[in-house]
Amino acid sequence: MEDLKAYIESGVLELYALGDMSPGERQEVELMLQKHPELRYELDEIEKALEKYAEKHSFEPRENVRERVLGTLDFKQGTETVFKEETPVKVLPAATERTTGNSNVYKYAFAASVALLLLSTVAIVNLRSQLNESHQRIAILESSNQKFSSRANYIEKELSDVKHTLDVYQNPKEFKMVELKGLPKAPEAKMMVAFSPRKEMVMIDLASLRMPATDEKHQYQLWALVDGKPVDLGVFDMKADSTGMIKMKNLKNAQAFAVTLEPRGGSINPTMDEMIVMGSI
Amino acid sequence: MSKKHKISLPEADLIKAIRDKERIGAEALYDMYSASLFGVILRVIQDEELGQDLLQETFVKIWNSIDSFDETKGRLFTWMVNIARNLAVDKLRSKDFRNNSKNQDLENSVNLIDDQRNTTLNPETLGVKEMVDKLKPESKAVLDLVYFKGYTHSEASEELGIPLGTVKTRVRLAINTLRKLFN
Repeated sequence: MEDLKAYIESGVLELYALGDMSPGERQEVELMLQKHPELRYELDEIEKALEKYAEKHSFEPRENVRERVLGTLDFKQGTETVFKEETPVKVLPAATERTTGNSNVYKYAFAASVALLLLSTVAIVNLRSQLNESHQRIAILESSNQKFSSRANYIEKELSDVKHTLDVYQNPKEFKMVELKGLPKAPEAKMMVAFSPRKEMVMIDLASLRMPATDEKHQYQLWALVDGKPVDLGVFDMKADSTGMIKMKNLKNAQAFAVTLEPRGGSINPTMDEMIVMGSI
Repeated sequence: MSKKHKISLPEADLIKAIRDKERIGAEALYDMYSASLFGVILRVIQDEELGQDLLQETFVKIWNSIDSFDETKGRLFTWMVNIARNLAVDKLRSKDFRNNSKNQDLENSVNLIDDQRNTTLNPETLGVKEMVDKLKPESKAVLDLVYFKGYTHSEASEELGIPLGTVKTRVRLAINTLRKLFN
């Protein structure tokens, strides 16, 4: 018993299973296997494990290989010759022609309809998948089309904003450009206000805004100083990447503009502590 | 894609059908073992075209020399895998193959095969990673050299620069791990 254990642990059965042995050594092992069923069991386990290992690393050959391989093997005639052994039954000549003729017609008709059915099924399946594919393509095209048109809209809007701004800047007779500069609260801040006394129009150039961003609770409020009194001109937000001019409330006359940070919606009177920029005309 | 139904027979019936040269024996033999044998062949020789030729040769040899197989001495697959591996190794060492092939080391070739498999992945192989994780890398390396690449134990010892005794120990360790995993 001890000997067998040592034999197993020597690894000789693994060598045998892996085929790495001289014929002489193989014979020795085979002799041992015959004598001791325990060894046979042990070998079987080793082989099963290796078989599973190979199975886990299996690689499916291409489908056409099967026919190719089977075509090179020779089979015993017998199973396939069943048809040949069916000798034609002798029937009376008169009856033979008509019945076989008829049944042949039916056979062919049946075969033809089956073939036709198969063909149409294949065709339908094909068409369906083509149709699906086309639908998908259309959907993709539509969505990219939408993307383009919304992009085009956006660019168009940007362009008209820029044109509008340019009109204002290029018309110094009509519009006075007032630069509002940062106060100690925000020294870096600045913005441009366009003012036309004739049209009683005040506009902010959004592209010129250099102001700290507003949060959800606050907005900027533009004020005009008219004869020493603040006049509300409306509120606006600071958003990155905005372009264009926004029109504020109408105004005939002013000496200066100022912007304060106010609670969202604006205040009746400016919060002087929160004055961000100011500029006189 | 639905695959054709594969034929499978119990080992004893399969062996009998092959001995009797019945067509069903050949079909079952192919369906049951072609993927495993092809996997082994491709690990020796990283060429799918050549591998197909070798797979065909393997089946012809199995089919024609089934009488030299003795089931009292081992399992059918063990016998078949030896045939496949020997044919592949002979091809690998033949002159015409060596003249026009790149040298790839073991790790690369296994990875290559595993990459290619993506197209033909079968669910049986899904556990490969978990299994490989359980095997110690040094044991796996030795086992793969001997089992998949057809190295003799002494060749493996030379290749890896470790003593022959260590090779044997590691092979045994690897197989023991596999036994615990599978059996």
